[in-house]
Amino acid sequence: MRNAAVGKFWAIFFTAVAVLAVAVCVVAPDYGWWFPGDGRAHSTLGQKIDDLFYLILVIVAVTFIGVNAALGYILWHGASLPSDKKALFSHGSHALEVIWTIVPAGILLFIALYQMDVWAQYRIKNFYPKTMEPVAEVTARQFEWRIRYPARGKKLMPTPQPDDVYTVNDLRVPTGHPVSISLRSDDVQHSFFVPELRVKQDAVPGLVIPVWWEMTDIGSFELVCAELCGWGHYKMKARVVAMSDEDFEAWKSQAAQEQFYDGVSTKDGELVSQSEQE
Amino acid sequence: MIRMIMSRFLIKSAWIAVACLAAVSTGCVPNPSAEFAWRDSTTDLIKDARSSLQNTVNENFGTPDDLVAWERLPVNYGGIKGTVAAAPEGTELTPGEFAFSHEGEGEVKPGDTVLWLSGEMAGKEATIQSADAATHLISLKAGTAPAEGTTFAVNFGDQLQLGRMVYMKNCLHCHGVAGDGAGPTAQYLNPRPRDYRLGVFKFTETLATERVTRDDLWRVIKYGIPGTYMPSFLLLDDHETTAVVEYVRWLAMRGELEKRLGDELTDYSQTSLTDQYNKAVESKKAAEAAGDKPEAVPSMSSLRNTAKDDFKEYAESDYADTVDSTADFIAENWTRADDPASVIHPAVARVADTPESRARGRLLYLSDRTKCYTCHGNTGRGNGGATEDFWPKPGSTEKYDARGLHDVWGNPLQPRNLRLGQYRGGRRPVDVFRRIYAGIKGTPMPAFGGTVLKDEEVWDVVNYVMSLPFESDASPSPAPSTKMAAHPVQ
Ligand code: HEC
Ligand code: HEC
Ligand SMILES: [Cu+2]
Repeated sequence: MRNAAVGKFWAIFFTAVAVLAVAVCVVAPDYGWWFPGDGRAHSTLGQKIDDLFYLILVIVAVTFIGVNAALGYILWHGASLPSDKKALFSHGSHALEVIWTIVPAGILLFIALYQMDVWAQYRIKNFYPKTMEPVAEVTARQFEWRIRYPARGKKLMPTPQPDDVYTVNDLRVPTGHPVSISLRSDDVQHSFFVPELRVKQDAVPGLVIPVWWEMTDIGSFELVCAELCGWGHYKMKARVVAMSDEDFEAWKSQAAQEQFYDGVSTKDGELVSQSEQE
Repeated sequence: MIRMIMSRFLIKSAWIAVACLAAVSTGCVPNPSAEFAWRDSTTDLIKDARSSLQNTVNENFGTPDDLVAWERLPVNYGGIKGTVAAAPEGTELTPGEFAFSHEGEGEVKPGDTVLWLSGEMAGKEATIQSADAATHLISLKAGTAPAEGTTFAVNFGDQLQLGRMVYMKNCLHCHGVAGDGAGPTAQYLNPRPRDYRLGVFKFTETLATERVTRDDLWRVIKYGIPGTYMPSFLLLDDHETTAVVEYVRWLAMRGELEKRLGDELTDYSQTSLTDQYNKAVESKKAAEAAGDKPEAVPSMSSLRNTAKDDFKEYAESDYADTVDSTADFIAENWTRADDPASVIHPAVARVADTPESRARGRLLYLSDRTKCYTCHGNTGRGNGGATEDFWPKPGSTEKYDARGLHDVWGNPLQPRNLRLGQYRGGRRPVDVFRRIYAGIKGTPMPAFGGTVLKDEEVWDVVNYVMSLPFESDASPSPAPSTKMAAHPVQ
């Protein structure tokens, strides 16, 4: 009798652990133990990445709950058997093994094929959106982000131009259509990571790496370095500010006006140096 | 049995003690208390002079854990200043209650501390029980309210405290607790983090003779110094930035007081005693060589005793005045820096950035009026002839061990490579104008404005300098002087 009680205790114990794990997962978002910010991705591709994540989460959750329910049942069942009854001993089942190999393999294959689309859009040039606006060159250096924008109405050039606009730790982008940055590093390897956009890309010395995304919302989002780059790595923080098209253009004019300030005059944003290019 | 347990217990405690000692000696101490380090010139003073100086500085500035706000300095320590007002008509006030008026922004909350600034209770503090912003009434937890007209401050020193917090968290590891530019990471950096204690800052909007403004410090902290390890702290809240600006100014004033008083007291230093001793030995030798009767060489201890007595006299007569006048000098200088009249505003707007203007600027750059090329090189690469010479240390004939320029902190310094398009003091034309107009303080880059160059000419030079990063390197400008041709461009 005593053995049966112990067995049942363990059956309940293991089931309870699984139930607790599921419960914690369910309430996690309410306690902020989930994705950063409001929990949603704020870029179009980020939302697709989240969809993939949730799809996998569902598959994993169904499997987890199924396996634990079966485990609990078997433990309980075994503990309830009369003590004089011998346990059933089986030496494997070929059919069963084939099933539990093929089913997960099928699931993995499905995930591999299903995500290819998102991966290609994220990382393969041919699948990038047809039109996107190269907004800025972002240069990572120990321990800050230096940003160079083309002048209003001009294209971003690979080398600095006299009328470029500069900021530091402050990346401004328009919202509602695809934008791209040219990511570089001045010194060691860094990583451009905007958690709320689900965008992450290493910055590699000597390479100019394009990174694109499309903001879905106006707002300010944290940009951090995600590659241990030295002792100041932890404070290599900046912000990405998503603005409406009009605000973005207005901000750029304003920033250019401030940047070309000569201490005397600012002729309605008309910059002397800009009009005099050879 | 009991004894055995006891001895085991003792052995165990011994092990714990050893482990603790090991932890302590390897630096595993929680929050070691921070200290303001002293200058070498201060620790070099004889004991009495040193303790007088240290007492003066400590009394007026405190320690990092116990700051003192010296009202005499133009530092915005924060808090609300107010005056006890007449009781509003028809209100009966309890003993701990009083009406008040205050200047500036801010809110008085229950639990805040009142510091009485005038009247019988000047210097004493009290805690606020309740405060009503509408009726302008405060009631104290204990004690009675002072007479009408008494001035007071609520949460005086808040801003300095916040500044210290921000500084300790973000700046200390480079700039050091005392702002001496010797934090633990400083030794790995080039250029070195700024040592604030001379009161000298490089990138200022003020005239060559003036100190740094709050705006300058604000900009440096917000945007960093590109091309150096001074990072941008754009994401600090504005009130944090304001507070750390005040803290940096406060540290600079503290450092200046220590430095200037130390300079006054050099007669009472070990170095001076050793000098006197060596001189006496030499004159004795010289006299012997000449066959004269040599004077006896005083012993070090007698020299020290004389210095001690001299200092005692000085301490009683002049020291207090010296402290006073030094404090006044510092306060005046820092107040004047924030006077709008100290800020450089070009007399004319930027001269149009035309090829002609750049050509004029180039001629000035290569002329012997400015001698820019001697430092920055003919092609602006920062490799002028001056970088090859041995330069004397400031105020002496002794030369630096290394070739090239040095700043007032003694660090070797390259003239800027003007082709990189990196402007440490900011890339606005007005920034570059001010750099050329007033020079770069603490460095050999001289001031040109007002004396050597007219404002229009400074603009021509600005236009030329700012065009350099976009000029093709293929055709280096011809050298005007034969000396320069001896240093070919790398
Ligand atoms: C990683 C090291 C580092 C940190 C952290 C750092 N600084 Fe600096 N700072 C420097 C260096 C290096 C310079 C000197 C640059 C130069 O000489 O051109 C400097 C210069 C300065 C200057 C002088 C500017 C001038 O015009 O002369 C000020 C003021 C300053 N820092 C304030 C701060 C404050 C305030 C903080 C914290 C919020 C801070 N720094 C954090 C490295 C640092
Ligand atoms: C005695 C040498 C010397 C002379 C002469 C000199 N400079 Fe400099 N200059 C320097 C040094 C050194 C620096 C770097 C200072 C620093 O950042 O610590 C510098 C920095 C600069 C900078 C960079 C400012 C910034 O914000 O980064 C400019 C621009 C500049 N000089 C222009 C000029 C021009 C134009 C002239 C002539 C009108 C000139 N200099 C003459 C030594 C010199
Ligand atoms: Cu990094």
